[in-house]
Amino acid sequence: MITRRAAAQLVATTAVTAALGAAAGTPARAANKVVKIGLDASLTGADAQSAIKVKDATQMAFDAANEGNAVPGYTFELVILDDGTATAGQYDPAQAATNARKMVSDKDVVGALGPQMSGAGKAMTPILSQGGLATITPSSTNPDITNPKFAAQYRPAGKPIYFRTVTTDAFQGPNMANFFAEKLNVKSVYILDDSGAFGVGVADTFQAQAEKKGMKVLGRDRLDPKAPDYTTILTKIKSLNPDALYFGGVSQAGVKVAKQSYDIMPKLIRGGPDGTYGSDFLAGGGFPAVEGWYSTIAAPHLIDDTKASQFVTAFKGQFGMGADDYSITAYDAALVMIDAVKRVAASGKPVTREAVQAALMTSKVPTLQGTISFDENGDLADRTVSVFQITKDASKPLDDSSAQYKYLAVAPQS
Amino acid sequence: MANGATTGTTTAPPAGTETGTITAPSLLTRSIAWIPEARRRQLGIGLLIVAALAFPYLIDSNDADVDSMANAAAYATLALGLNIVVGFAGLLDLGYAAFFAIGAYTYGILTAYQLQPAWNSFWDVFQFLGLASPVPADVGTGMVVHFTLSFWLALPLAAALASFFGVVFGLPTLRLRGDYLAIVTLGFGEITPIVVRNWSDLTNGAAGLNGVAAPQLFGWSFGVNSVPYYYVAIAMVAMLIFISIRLRDSRIGRAWMAIREDEIAAGAMGVDRTKFKLLAFAIGAAFAGMTGVFYVAKLQTATPEMFGFPVSVMILVMIVFGGIGSVWGVVLGAFILQLLQSWWLQDLTQWTHVLGRMVNSTILQKADFVQSIELIFGIILVVMMLFRRQGLIPAVRPQKALTFDQQHAEIRRGGFSDLKLQGLGGEVRTGAAALEIKGVTVRFGGLVALNNVDITVPTGSVVAVIGPNGSGKSTLFNAITALVEADEGSIRFHGEEMIGLPPHVILAKGIARTFQNLRLFPNLTVMDNALVSQHTRLKTGVLQAIFRPPSTRAEEKAAREWAMEVFSIFGNRLVPRTEQMVAGLSYANRRRIEIARALASRPRILLLDEPTAGMNPAETLELAEQIKSLNDLGLTVLLIEHKLDVVTRLADTVYVLDHGDVIASGKPDEVRKNEEVLRAYLGRNAQAAAAGAA
Amino acid sequence: MTYTDLLLQQTINGLSLGAMYSLLALGFTLVYGILELINFSHFNVFMIGSFVAMWTLQMFGLSGQDVILAGLPLAGVLLVAFVVTMGFCGGLGVVIERVTLRPLRNVKGPAAMITSIGVSYILFNIVLLTVGADSKNFPNPLPTIRYQIGGATLDFRVILIWVIALLLMGALYMFVQRSRLGRAMRATAQDQEAARMMGVEVDKVIMMAFFLGSALAGAGGMIFGLYYNFTSFIIGFTAGLRAFTAAVLGGIGNVPGAMVGGMLIGLIEAMGGQFIATAWTDVIIFSILVLVLVFKPSGLFGRVAPNKS
Repeated sequence: MITRRAAAQLVATTAVTAALGAAAGTPARAANKVVKIGLDASLTGADAQSAIKVKDATQMAFDAANEGNAVPGYTFELVILDDGTATAGQYDPAQAATNARKMVSDKDVVGALGPQMSGAGKAMTPILSQGGLATITPSSTNPDITNPKFAAQYRPAGKPIYFRTVTTDAFQGPNMANFFAEKLNVKSVYILDDSGAFGVGVADTFQAQAEKKGMKVLGRDRLDPKAPDYTTILTKIKSLNPDALYFGGVSQAGVKVAKQSYDIMPKLIRGGPDGTYGSDFLAGGGFPAVEGWYSTIAAPHLIDDTKASQFVTAFKGQFGMGADDYSITAYDAALVMIDAVKRVAASGKPVTREAVQAALMTSKVPTLQGTISFDENGDLADRTVSVFQITKDASKPLDDSSAQYKYLAVAPQS
Repeated sequence: MANGATTGTTTAPPAGTETGTITAPSLLTRSIAWIPEARRRQLGIGLLIVAALAFPYLIDSNDADVDSMANAAAYATLALGLNIVVGFAGLLDLGYAAFFAIGAYTYGILTAYQLQPAWNSFWDVFQFLGLASPVPADVGTGMVVHFTLSFWLALPLAAALASFFGVVFGLPTLRLRGDYLAIVTLGFGEITPIVVRNWSDLTNGAAGLNGVAAPQLFGWSFGVNSVPYYYVAIAMVAMLIFISIRLRDSRIGRAWMAIREDEIAAGAMGVDRTKFKLLAFAIGAAFAGMTGVFYVAKLQTATPEMFGFPVSVMILVMIVFGGIGSVWGVVLGAFILQLLQSWWLQDLTQWTHVLGRMVNSTILQKADFVQSIELIFGIILVVMMLFRRQGLIPAVRPQKALTFDQQHAEIRRGGFSDLKLQGLGGEVRTGAAALEIKGVTVRFGGLVALNNVDITVPTGSVVAVIGPNGSGKSTLFNAITALVEADEGSIRFHGEEMIGLPPHVILAKGIARTFQNLRLFPNLTVMDNALVSQHTRLKTGVLQAIFRPPSTRAEEKAAREWAMEVFSIFGNRLVPRTEQMVAGLSYANRRRIEIARALASRPRILLLDEPTAGMNPAETLELAEQIKSLNDLGLTVLLIEHKLDVVTRLADTVYVLDHGDVIASGKPDEVRKNEEVLRAYLGRNAQAAAAGAA
Repeated sequence: MTYTDLLLQQTINGLSLGAMYSLLALGFTLVYGILELINFSHFNVFMIGSFVAMWTLQMFGLSGQDVILAGLPLAGVLLVAFVVTMGFCGGLGVVIERVTLRPLRNVKGPAAMITSIGVSYILFNIVLLTVGADSKNFPNPLPTIRYQIGGATLDFRVILIWVIALLLMGALYMFVQRSRLGRAMRATAQDQEAARMMGVEVDKVIMMAFFLGSALAGAGGMIFGLYYNFTSFIIGFTAGLRAFTAAVLGGIGNVPGAMVGGMLIGLIEAMGGQFIATAWTDVIIFSILVLVLVFKPSGLFGRVAPNKS
């Protein structure tokens, strides 16, 4: 059967050489060795939009690497696999597991990116671990997967293989709770989540830390991200008169929370995790509804932000849609992977899965979100959580996140 | 099919078979012509088994494709389960994924690090049984319980638990009809993932279960190797195909299909609808529960999103595509659709991209069929419904044409005297009442359909009820057979009160009826129609149906022989047609099947509702004589009839109903002359003319 | 906010949700009343209605969140958008009926319903694949006016929804009760064969039911957009399912029943969110559905559906 090599070559190299390469079954640049990197994303179903952005950003990074000959003697090839199915209507852990097997079965695949969803990650990691294949996820934040407590489950072969360019739920929630308590002097809070694994996880950890900090948690409820109307619960929240509202989740429900909560409680302190940071949140919520909203991102704020804004511009130019937060983390994940391969190649050793995994462990890569290195479990070593507040800057486009989110501070660690 | 050999001396083809070879193109048929027909099926299944066993070694050792096949097999087992509910019993279930979830979380919770009560001596016995082990607690110093339920034990346990929920979800829906049932099941299907998500102490909610154990076989863990999972899945498919076919071709399956075809008639023919609907829900759910265990063991995690409405719909699409009610069809449908999305469409996309690059077409290079999968499924649903509702492999197999001789109806006059019909009739005319109706009143809102009706049917006699349209005759039958509730009065059958008993019990007591407007089971064979009515006389339960012990085989054989005997009452009109679908038969023959079906239940009294309606004079006479012969055998008959000559010929006593009142009764000749009767029938003005004509 | 104010506010919330459910429920009830068909494609006719309305408004230059029209011109534009949306969706409903459902009209069993699920999937994915997965900002031409009733707030948009919904439902009720075609519709609902024999053009009546039901779904879609200022390919399912529940609750086939049923479901959703939790909204709604069907299968106001025996 024809491998997925074809798909990657399509964008990785020029059309002519790729056609020759695929037809002859040989690598595109005859002189170069081909390094295959797998990408698992939920390209079908409810998460398609964000998945496509992840895929595009990743491709951008590898295209640039190939064109700039970032790793002399090697050409990257992206093997794109879709874990969304019609059966599940969204990401499907079973398909993710199948995709993990596809990557592991292909001996030329030395590293992987993805998945987007922790549910998919939990199904993939046992297989990837047995296959010795390391992956970097741009968006899966469930702490269990890298938690040593579950090592027998998620890395049965021993070595950490699940790296992240995002922090886990274990930090954004608690640090924001600290920020609410210490900087904003919030005494009482109501917490909502959006039913998703990420949203529930962040809201849970926020809640635990908020209680520890002596904040009064007036209530906790869960939103159906597909429902249009949250006025009922927001009315209830209004009647409880909290100081603040914390929303754990991503922008699908987030924009509706922002909009409707502004209608009902325009003065309330509101905030959320990085799911509420991005141009789609700005565009969907709209001013004045999003004005004053606090968002965290799980990375230090870069004073010199030009690289990130250059990326955003380039992304928009190439794909015609705005980059979201996960496009950036996906791009960074690709950069980290490229760097690892580069270091292995430079050392003169063969580029194997084992070598790539070892190289990832010692990463220290400058990326859009700052310098990335990993701890002994594959989590980001830098657990800085930065807090932003949406403050309208009418001179810039209203959905430009670098202009409309104003950096405030590093959220206090707990 | 084992029951194929039991159809006696008829020329009918073996019953209960369903193969792809019959519908295949003639080229295929010709190329396998050298194989004896009876062997083809076994050969086909044998080849299939060999191919399934060899599959992992046939493809280029790609673990992922084996995994895709294992997933497809899991969907095939789900499709088989839903097929029992939707295909066999005709109960449209849109929330089937709920049972999948229940099975999955049963195993998941009992092997993952989720439920961790503190360890104490209570758990020692569980440790001894290998169901739990002590592990150090996360917080504090004590030990907590880690459940370690074996995969193999979990399969039956989850099946049982899912069955239980099948019954719980099924109970409130029993009174609901088709589409309402669909919407309530959809509701349960929506509720289940929400409960799973919100009950995070038990399920770890949206984050998904951690550390679900892989199955072990004699100490060897399946781990993440897809090959053993594949074999387990294939074994499950094989087992469930076997169970499905065995159930379908048994008393159980016939009862389900009778409910599907005509619920009211099924009840009147002795099928306990409540029990068998719940049984369908329970068995269908059990299949899903087992599949859930397998699926979650293979994935080693579970999230609520895996069990939403799209899953239920997709399983439904699979069985619609393959053929509702067709065992092999739904398996094929599941495999094709699942592999389409997880394997073939991905490859097709790759090939198209390569082609696009070769011909330098940007459109082809960008094409992505995987993303269009839902659209493709939608189109499949609509196109199949519009143009091929029976699916890829139809459940109803094509019928062989009758020979000229068989088509030639032999007119039998003078009833029958050569048949013994052992066990039918044999009642002696003692003069004692077989059926005693006293003061029965039935009201529909303000309308009084039966008003204080008294009718007595002496044992061994023929009693006719006549009356104009709307006089309450059919309501009387409905009241006797509990299809309508009598508001007042009593109906005693050989001294036992019938009011308050459900229809299937009344049949079991020995009261069988026919319907004026023909309520046969149109998509069942003539034979199956006559077997359904023997339902209460047979004992086969689920286990006997599956394992088919000698006693069950003997019972089935006897039931078929008895049915053939009953058919032979009508000469050669039904006998050559026993394996034909009722829907395709002539009106007069369907009337005869109604009677044969009722007789096959071995009634002590036969209630005939206008048995000769729509028959020509010759056929009417033929049938009247056959009824007479039945009575001569000692069968009590209560007859509704319009044709007065039939009544005169047959009846010992005639009751005349008008507007719900008995206005006259007596011997046929007396009643014919009764003025009130004539007025009721023909109106006051025509009375004189009618008197003259009579 | 006092307790009374809170209850009043939640009642307002519930009734504005309910108005939308009612409009959708009417479409279900019309079709079910005549064909005994749960028409799943209705869900996504509603969704497409919101897109058609959005595009129509955008053609008038209303694309952002700013109020650029007021008074009569605004009313005129809205009226045109309503007519276009309802016409388009009505037409879509008729096409769906003609192409996919009419050939199945006399087929027993779930064939027609399964087909409508298929049609629903097709509509859903056509929008997904062409328009994209992210939600779109719906033009917001309505001025923000709020009235205070004690501590409760009543938004002008809510009043507008109620007025439009009541007008449409009233018009439908009058049509069904008073007009010739409406009478034919009721006759067909009672007994299709008898109606045919009495000279009712059954095909035309069924087409009309689909047209009206789908047009109302389209209007519902536009109201949805105006009220929430966004639309997306996924809005059909949740709203559609609740609307169907509303139709069953009120007694399916029963036009006033669907209106009241919609309002009730809206109220249940609001009060359930207030007193239990929004996490359990669907569980509450479906539990009520099951209870109603078990104890009063004909719904609160009695079903008006064919009596097939």
